[in-house]
Amino acid sequence: MSARVFNLLFVALAASLPLWMRDPYLLAILSSTGIFIIAAISLNLLLGFTGQLSLGHAAFFGIGAYTSALLSLGFDVDIGLPSPVVVDPKPVWVAFFGAVAVSGLFGFLIGKLAFRVRGAYFVIVTIAFAEVMRMVALNWVDLTEGPMALNNIPPLSIWWPGSGLIALVTKPQAYWLVLAVGVVCYFLVAHMVRSRIGRALVALRENEPLARSVGVRVTHYLVVATVVSAAIAGAAGALYAHCVRIVDPDVFLFIYTVTMVIMVVSGGKGTLAGPVVGGLIFGLMPQALRGTAPPEVQWIIYGIGIILIVFFLPRGIVPAFADLARLRVPQALRRPAKVAP
Amino acid sequence: MIKHMWMAVLAALFAAATAQAQETIKIGVNEPLTGAVAASGTYVTNGARIGAEVVNSRGGVLGKKIELVIEDNKSNPKEAVDAAEKLILRDKVPVMIGAWSSTFTLAVMPKLIEYGVPLIVETSSSGKITVSGNPWVFRISPTSEMEAVAFLEKLSSFNPPIKKADFLSVNNDFGRGAAAEFAKALASKGVKIGVTETMTPEATDLSAQLAAIKKSDGDALFVTTGVEQVTLVIKQAAEQRLTQRIITTGGAFPDQMIANAGPAGMASYHILFFSPWSADKAKYPDVAKVYVDEWNKKKWEFAGLTEGFRGYDAVMTAVEAIKIAGKAEPDAIRQALWKTKLHGVNGDIAFIKQGPEGKESGQSVPNVYIVMLKEGKVTQP
Amino acid sequence: MDQILQHGLNGVVLGGTYALLGIGLTLVFGIMRVVNFTHGELYAFGAYLAYLFVALLHLDFFLSIALAALAGFALGAVIELVLLRPLRTDDIDTVMLVMIGAWIALQNGEQFVWGGVAKLVPSPFAQEPLVFGPVSVLPLRLFVLAVTLVLLVAFYLLIDRTRLGMAMRATFQDRDTAALMGVDVKGIYTLTFALGSSLAAIAGALLGPIFLVNPTMGNLVGLKAFAIVILGGLGNITGATIGGFVLALVEEFGAGYLSSEYRDAFGFVVIIAVLALRPQGFFALKGRVG
Repeated sequence: MSARVFNLLFVALAASLPLWMRDPYLLAILSSTGIFIIAAISLNLLLGFTGQLSLGHAAFFGIGAYTSALLSLGFDVDIGLPSPVVVDPKPVWVAFFGAVAVSGLFGFLIGKLAFRVRGAYFVIVTIAFAEVMRMVALNWVDLTEGPMALNNIPPLSIWWPGSGLIALVTKPQAYWLVLAVGVVCYFLVAHMVRSRIGRALVALRENEPLARSVGVRVTHYLVVATVVSAAIAGAAGALYAHCVRIVDPDVFLFIYTVTMVIMVVSGGKGTLAGPVVGGLIFGLMPQALRGTAPPEVQWIIYGIGIILIVFFLPRGIVPAFADLARLRVPQALRRPAKVAP
Repeated sequence: MIKHMWMAVLAALFAAATAQAQETIKIGVNEPLTGAVAASGTYVTNGARIGAEVVNSRGGVLGKKIELVIEDNKSNPKEAVDAAEKLILRDKVPVMIGAWSSTFTLAVMPKLIEYGVPLIVETSSSGKITVSGNPWVFRISPTSEMEAVAFLEKLSSFNPPIKKADFLSVNNDFGRGAAAEFAKALASKGVKIGVTETMTPEATDLSAQLAAIKKSDGDALFVTTGVEQVTLVIKQAAEQRLTQRIITTGGAFPDQMIANAGPAGMASYHILFFSPWSADKAKYPDVAKVYVDEWNKKKWEFAGLTEGFRGYDAVMTAVEAIKIAGKAEPDAIRQALWKTKLHGVNGDIAFIKQGPEGKESGQSVPNVYIVMLKEGKVTQP
Repeated sequence: MDQILQHGLNGVVLGGTYALLGIGLTLVFGIMRVVNFTHGELYAFGAYLAYLFVALLHLDFFLSIALAALAGFALGAVIELVLLRPLRTDDIDTVMLVMIGAWIALQNGEQFVWGGVAKLVPSPFAQEPLVFGPVSVLPLRLFVLAVTLVLLVAFYLLIDRTRLGMAMRATFQDRDTAALMGVDVKGIYTLTFALGSSLAAIAGALLGPIFLVNPTMGNLVGLKAFAIVILGGLGNITGATIGGFVLALVEEFGAGYLSSEYRDAFGFVVIIAVLALRPQGFFALKGRVG
């Protein structure tokens, strides 16, 4: 069966879930896993397709969450101008897309800055950026409420024929919202990867000097990738803000970036399904392990699990199973054999 | 294919987990067991455990044993919300205790209305909690305002008298609220207000804030934060030779400084809601004795008694309400809480109405004690 | 003026421990190209061992620090042998992921064993601060400074004056040539990682009594160590030493004069600034960036 049919079946099954699985708690878990999967898909664009190790991705996620929350709640802040800056609460979808735009903008800035340095240095810049954002969120209490958190964030609403405007607050509604946004992001990334941009990214991942020498504008495409990646992460953050409806500085914590990285690399970086599979496994594993052992032990198992996957399935789960099942994997998405360092 | 299998496995796991028979009455406990304020959360939870044991040893309630379902909110408001949802949706608790810090409690409050489950607030002190029109909230701990007003009665016991006060608090609802209320109360008695410094909940190096406080010529420093930071503040203040007397609010007591005393001659004062060093002077010494004895039997840290009682009293309150309600059902318990009166470790527990008409929350009026810690010994000042 | 002196003294004392952390990491990150996320955990490990030895087993404080150093060395060696050596030829992401897994396992192991409540390590020194004119400092902090200076000097002598040091420098400069000359490159890598881990553990054991010991104490410290390494230039030991002191002083003066709350942010702002202006760090002699 081709990948396309498989994808459609998967989406159909996922969409039908709330109809036969009534447990609201499980739906809540799946929704939050879904939000992380969207973030992982965005990270995969950078990590898997361009080969750049970004370890500050929680920054874009957090910026999206805070921006959307602040725009939808309204805020006033004193930044030294003669009168304070006052922003009235905006309609929630405006806030959502505003968040996507702002995250994308930060992606542009970081991309421009960080791609002057590469490799290990890039890793550190991204980490530093996320930490600085966390401390700003923690200390700029006037704007972000600091540790007191932004509370009572309004939910997203859609217009449904027959019922008018309904707020998406119940667990099934949140789940469908996340699924819808997830599907859109997935296809966005898939389209980008199969296009000319995607081929340029792969060229620079595989052999940057060669790509430059044939005229591929390396920095330009890297920045494009970072902007899209940041924008999608921002969308995930905004979803988070309106589903969980409380945002505190801990969204910028390194552990969330780490979670996304785990999902991408274990699932199979550079593949489209990788973040989804990795996300489902590592997003749901803590829940499956619940009750079998104290939480710390679960996390230890989690950590060891990562190590084992790296040792035994170094390219990730999806490529390993793809080999087994002999699914057709498009050329651009196939990782070549390792070249000696 | 793999994805379908996972779904099936998970569904089966969940079915198995929720199929256990309801032989106990569950009480949810939503406390910080890890993170910045883990010490206090652990004490409260331990107190709750003792409460549950004592209740079960007396035969339980409504013929069934009570079972505490404990969730760690990791000293984080969003995790507190997650913990509350787990307790309500997965464990189906009819009543909850929590969430320690005002910020966590405020975050959880909307969920109480959404799912209709009552919460017994055992520690949080922000005024906002009982005046925001949430009929599912019942608080047994004092507000910062009550604490400040009660403190004023003991103001004269300080010699030399306090003329100028500085403040150092954690920058969340708890710390800021307390600083504001104490400033207001002290100012009403003619005390001058000096500087107000803040710190993030996980900060460990407070030398910059203390240096600024040192420059102010106050004679008392009011510190509001959790046990961990109180310990660090006292140690670092001693290092910088601060001249201000340190007075901590909110009930935190730096237990580890009994074994590891500060420099000679240095004393700190702590506002507590239960003083195990003078348990015989508690309002109901027989109630306090049961609690203290059970705690000591487990050889837990003695100074933890200063906060453990919150969990103990909260469990007792919940059990009393369940008894009055006659069934372990959230709305029945909520109505029963209004009729609940009992003798707690701290004193009388009974709820008065606070907040907007028709949506009042319950607030109990507790007692306040002050102790002095000097060179590893605790006395009345 | 006294404020400046006090801040300066605090900065120098803290800087010593930061330098230890930086040196340990610059070798591993700079030469072995391993994004060592366990570095912060070794710091926490050292602190918990100090708590175990001093508070629970009532051993001598100074002996405890030495034991913590040895234990850190052993743990570092184990990590390298079990996790890194088998992956030697793989790319940086794979190695990084393994280190992340190890980090998660270690931190949660610590939390499982010790619980989430912070611990206080008793100090053998008097609690009264020593007063030198306008500045006051705990005897403990002076001890920390003295130990770090001794260790720094010892480390330099090791690298500069011993055959082992020469072998390490050779491996750092050109691995393949060193191997051809008969240097046991794999062994050098293990030794480097173990030494770095040991330094982190010592730093933790030294700072444990000053701050409290809790399972997440390594997180921020680990990230700051990366800041120090960037400041000093990857693989540059002198740079890491100076970088450690510079970062501590920036934090102290920044917290004192700019904003006490943003104290921990200064290090990261410094990284971003350094990388924007001079990506190879301030002290690198030559640097191929990336």
